[in-house]
Amino acid sequence: MKFKIIFVFALFWTVFLTAQETNAYQKKVLESTEVDVLMSYYAQDGIHSSVAGGDGTEELTDFTSSIVISLPVKNNNVLTVDIGISAYTSASSSNINPFDRSGASKDEDDDDDDEEEDDKLSMDKGVDEGGANPWYASSGASMSDVLVHGSANYAHSSEDRNTIVSGNIGFSTEYDYFSIGVGGAYTKLLNNKNTELSFKAQIYFDKWRSIYPTELDSYFEDGLDDGFFEDVDIIGDPNYPGVEYNPSNFSLNTDEHRNSYALSASFSQILTKSIQASVFFDVIMQEGLLSTPYHRVYFADKPDFYIEQFQLADDNEKLPTNRFKLPIGTRFNFYLNERFVLRTYYRYYYDDWGVTAHTASVELPIKIGQKFTITPMYRYYNQTEADYFAPKEVHLSTQKYYTSDYDLSAFDANQYGVGLKYTDIFTKAKIWKFGLKNIELRYNHYNRSNDLTADIVTFGIKFVD
Amino acid sequence: MKILIALLLIMMISSCATVKEYQKMNINDPDMALSVQKIEKYETTFQTYREAAAGANGGKTGGGCGCN
Repeated sequence: MKFKIIFVFALFWTVFLTAQETNAYQKKVLESTEVDVLMSYYAQDGIHSSVAGGDGTEELTDFTSSIVISLPVKNNNVLTVDIGISAYTSASSSNINPFDRSGASKDEDDDDDDEEEDDKLSMDKGVDEGGANPWYASSGASMSDVLVHGSANYAHSSEDRNTIVSGNIGFSTEYDYFSIGVGGAYTKLLNNKNTELSFKAQIYFDKWRSIYPTELDSYFEDGLDDGFFEDVDIIGDPNYPGVEYNPSNFSLNTDEHRNSYALSASFSQILTKSIQASVFFDVIMQEGLLSTPYHRVYFADKPDFYIEQFQLADDNEKLPTNRFKLPIGTRFNFYLNERFVLRTYYRYYYDDWGVTAHTASVELPIKIGQKFTITPMYRYYNQTEADYFAPKEVHLSTQKYYTSDYDLSAFDANQYGVGLKYTDIFTKAKIWKFGLKNIELRYNHYNRSNDLTADIVTFGIKFVD
Repeated sequence: MKILIALLLIMMISSCATVKEYQKMNINDPDMALSVQKIEKYETTFQTYREAAAGANGGKTGGGCGCN
């Protein structure tokens, strides 16, 4: 009996001390602090401005930068903080109030009162001095905006590294929009870490601060006899003699919230020593104000009115207050040899607004020596038209929902580009106490079949402590 | 959709064959990662803005107006 007690006691201490020893030498989930600095410059141009009802410039530039810091917390936890800022100028958005240069809104004291700054902006963007026109930028405050975002994610791994639980919180804010998001994820590794199952839930609580096309807002507030329209010449429709401008469908939004709920699941599998794949799907529900308040719509059954060369809106976009999205995607990655890796991706998308879409992409990282990788890439995208989309002057005022946002039209898109990455696993180059791990530069050109083109350059640099 | 289900089944069947840790040198190559790379973040964002489809790519599934 005494022997058994001593044996059990010894066994306990052996296991305990082994566990202690394991802890002492257990590799951290993240060995050291990592800092990623990311920057991008995006420029687009097109001819289907949704702010001008589907007909007008879509010129836009955006500069974004962010810093992502991943910190090890004890052995098993990682805290990741992501903060960033994005600044854009948009010719399209500037035409929420296209009448700045015309003088039509000279007495307004709302969002375009800084004349000196407006003049500077208008010179920078080549504003048409001839007056309101959907093909030129206006100089109102909506010409540019700044978006600030931040998020934090805390992930805990089990001692055996087969279970990861994480939670996150984040926000983003710009002039007319605020978003806050919370979420959590559970990941289980099985089969000697050959299989990974992951489940994620995410909720976003968003809030609009609605701004409307100037003529709609002004008509709603003061009618044609006062305020904005008081001293303005409206050019009427010769087919409707004597009829005055009357956007009777328009009303202000009473509910400005937009919530998004997403459930995600993914299954990843190592298939061979050189091939791995994953399948993932999301179930996304959105509810609230899903239309954009400053997107104009022009009806076929209403007369056309102009101030200078800018057609006055018949209404703003109206869309359902619910949307259900179901994307399902898969990735197959192949390590072909020491020089080539092949990354592939396919996604099928369905939503209850009538949109179905296919996305396929391929990347071919080519390793040049120990430190450089060059990656040519191509992406194809195709979508069908949403039930509520029609071009300018096609919708009828009797319809319940309508939009002329060409992001919801049918189109194909081709994107091709190249990336260049420098990696130094020994982090020899130092900045302060951080070693440079890699630098990456990517360029992509995007071409949509409905006359929108875009270019994006992204730069990333990673440091480790 | 049928193709995706078939792929899933193939993956599940082949999951019986285990690749051991010391055999994962190729799989652990950073370019083999199945997740979206950090550098792709802004490309995914603009695609989400300019296209109706979103999600199932490991990126953001909501939040923000995407209206510019």
